[in-house]
Amino acid sequence: MKRTLSGEYDGKSATKAGTVEISGVHKNIKEKKVIHQYKSNGYNIVMDVASGSVHVVDDVVYDAIALIEPEIGELDGHGDLAGELCRKVTERLKKVYPEVEVAEALEDIQMLIDAEELFTEDIYQEYVTEFKARETVVKALCLHIAHDCNLGCRYCFAEEGEYHGRRALMSFDTGKKALDFLMDNSGSRRNLEVDFFGGEPLMNWPVVRQLVEYGRSQEQERDKRFRFTLTTNGMLLNEEIMDFCNREMSNVVLSLDGRREVNDFMRPTRNGKGSSYDIIVPKFQKFAKSRAGKDYYVRGTFTRYNLDFSEDVKHFADLGFDQISVEPVVAPPEEPYAIRQEDLPKIFEEYDKLAAEYIKRKKEGRGFQFFHFMIDLDQGPCVAKRLSGCGSGTEYLAVTPWGDLYPCHQFVGQEKFLMGNVDKGITRTDIRDEFKLCNVYAKEKCKSCFARFYCSGGCAANSYNFHGRITDTYEIGCEMQKKRIECAVMIKAALADKEECPQ
Amino acid sequence: MKHVKTLNTLKESMKKGGCGECQTSCSCTVGNQTCENAKR
Repeated sequence: MKRTLSGEYDGKSATKAGTVEISGVHKNIKEKKVIHQYKSNGYNIVMDVASGSVHVVDDVVYDAIALIEPEIGELDGHGDLAGELCRKVTERLKKVYPEVEVAEALEDIQMLIDAEELFTEDIYQEYVTEFKARETVVKALCLHIAHDCNLGCRYCFAEEGEYHGRRALMSFDTGKKALDFLMDNSGSRRNLEVDFFGGEPLMNWPVVRQLVEYGRSQEQERDKRFRFTLTTNGMLLNEEIMDFCNREMSNVVLSLDGRREVNDFMRPTRNGKGSSYDIIVPKFQKFAKSRAGKDYYVRGTFTRYNLDFSEDVKHFADLGFDQISVEPVVAPPEEPYAIRQEDLPKIFEEYDKLAAEYIKRKKEGRGFQFFHFMIDLDQGPCVAKRLSGCGSGTEYLAVTPWGDLYPCHQFVGQEKFLMGNVDKGITRTDIRDEFKLCNVYAKEKCKSCFARFYCSGGCAANSYNFHGRITDTYEIGCEMQKKRIECAVMIKAALADKEECPQ
Repeated sequence: MKHVKTLNTLKESMKKGGCGECQTSCSCTVGNQTCENAKR
């Protein structure tokens, strides 16, 4: 049975008068981006946005899809156009390819359409709206265990750990109330997450330990499972801390920016003396090795000062780190280190270089993971997760050292977003409701973007900081995100490349 | 198919998705996440 041009079933054959009829396409798909096709590193890639299908195709299919895509919205209600369209495509392509190949290509395209893997309709808006309307539960907290820091990083949104406020350390009592708030408000969710964040969390290490021990003591009784994580600059790392983290922390993020001169320029010590790189790198190398298979990330920020950031990633890999993230700074445009629109071509070039290096090292057996190139095409998250995003302001909240609740760590200190506290819970349900409605369909620019199922509409805090509302997007970030997705998919194609691959 | 290699649909995840047990994303980006249900 085949779909007709109006989306119903009529059981007609797809082949008519010796040519292939492109049928089964819905009329409203032009409203949203339905496919994305691009060439990268010798691969022709076609992404079908709404189904999530990714196809590596040869030149004739690539060119045929490019000709069909602009016409596809006109098909509905004009059944005879399908045959015309195929004849038109054949006429155009037979100048370049043998006619039999063009016919085969059109047959393959029809098979993909029939399998709902090409030109598929985005049917999820109502589904995700219903999903988001469910009762809100909290499943993750970012505990600002210390609003203090022993480094003076120039780009830190926490302003040397103080978040537009005062230096403070979270007490065990406040932290315990936060964990109780999380368990009490998590409904039937079993997997709960607590991230120890700062400032620098190791400046309040005894409380981190106590809170982990308290959480573990509650797991069996409350039928919950805590996933504890920690972000640190490493200055205070020692054997005892590493051992504890290796037992209890599911993931640790080790902050370092890359090459020595890059790191020390942006991440100076508080007194400006000595090299933070020299202090931290040996500790991180030891820590990463001791993780013995457990997750960690060496995580850096690149700025306008090191647009050649692929060199920093390679530097990390050469230091022996195999789980790496180097990410663009997000900063007010007036800052000299902020990424500008004019920097994008250079940044794209760097991502291409990095992707090539990633493949090369992987094939040589000395590969590394790069956070923004990781993508799961087979068992990735469900549609509900993809469209609802990070859950900031709803499932995920940040807690200040004195127990105030904010939508996420990036909103901390902005009083407009103060949602409540660990004693009274959420008192500003209007803020929660605003975040609840924040999904890709609430963002005009996302509706027509091919990356919407991979980025979920981007970061609410970035949107607010650049546009004054959470339902917009940070355009420079979007461009980089799209480029990274293209690289990640190309890497999948390259690593899957075997004899049967058409390219 | 002679001219196409498919590397991997989202529609299928509507049937049993939405359990909410997966990791918070920002953690991992949504795109690189693996479904907890699928892993089990």
